[in-house]
Amino acid sequence: MLVPRKVRWRKAHAPKRAGFAKGGTRVTFGEYGIQALEHAYVTNRQIESARIAITRHVKRGGKVWINIFPDRPLTKKPAETRMGSGKGSPEYWVANVKPGRVMFELNFPNEKTAIEALTRAAHKLPMKCKIVSREGGDF
Amino acid sequence: MSEVRLTVEPRTEFGKGAARRTRRAGKIPAVLYGHGSDPKHLSLPVVEFARAIRENGRNTVLTLDVAGSSSELALTKTITAHPVKNYIEHVDLLLVKRGEKVTVDVPVVLSGDPASGTLVTQDLNEVQLEADALNIPEQVEVSVDGAEAGTQIHASELSLPRGVTLQTGPEILVANVSEAPSESDMESDIDTEGAGVVEEASEDETAGEQA
Repeated sequence: MLVPRKVRWRKAHAPKRAGFAKGGTRVTFGEYGIQALEHAYVTNRQIESARIAITRHVKRGGKVWINIFPDRPLTKKPAETRMGSGKGSPEYWVANVKPGRVMFELNFPNEKTAIEALTRAAHKLPMKCKIVSREGGDF
Repeated sequence: MSEVRLTVEPRTEFGKGAARRTRRAGKIPAVLYGHGSDPKHLSLPVVEFARAIRENGRNTVLTLDVAGSSSELALTKTITAHPVKNYIEHVDLLLVKRGEKVTVDVPVVLSGDPASGTLVTQDLNEVQLEADALNIPEQVEVSVDGAEAGTQIHASELSLPRGVTLQTGPEILVANVSEAPSESDMESDIDTEGAGVVEEASEDETAGEQA
């Protein structure tokens, strides 16, 4: 699973969820991609689950790119704990995904299979998503 | 490449409020500059401009009939689009003259089917070319028909029309044909060897230890 190798601070403020993606909003590596339509914190488990959904469906002959990385720690206090006594311990590693971000890309010769694989992966992600293609960027 | 004629209006009010009013009126805020002239603020008709870009490509030469002024030739330099809704928010237009050489980014399109058991990866989406402003190629086509695994197409191997010169580095990889990954290659986990979170000592802590 994706985890940072080294971090400066173990606990951090929760990332800001406002605004739209500044870059990475078009398919650049593969032919098809999954674009986020809402804000969400995507955990490393969800990223891995989506990646497995793609690879299990296309089986062989394709290439997958993951354009997001879970570099932000989220903390959580244990159950039935009174408030106070400092910040909880790190629980998740998340990628702070903003609307418009293309999170996964896939290069696969068969369009129908590629779109089905990405749809299955989108079901593993915690936000509404859209399947986009490299050639679909016209206005 | 064909020329497209657009009737545009000069803009007199600026700022985000005015820009939003322009967009609500079915127009796109735009700016026209180049050749050392003062920038002109314009509003373009959204439907006609989007059709011109869709049908003729982003490098189409626009003949702008500015209300109350003479017509100008312009190239689209930048199109700012909304990241989700994909409507055009703003356009930068570059003033050009007939016979002038311009440097533009032209899309690279792969065509043909490679040999079976291979996967084609396009590494370069656009190639930078120098061409006559009125004769910019709409796209550069690269054939990968029957290409075997291990084939690499570099920028220098692109076939360009006469009068067009390559500005991108000739050694840059455009497309790569590799063997299609097997099931085990695709199933293998992401390389997380050595992954783990090690907190670095903060500067304050380090300074405290030294003292």
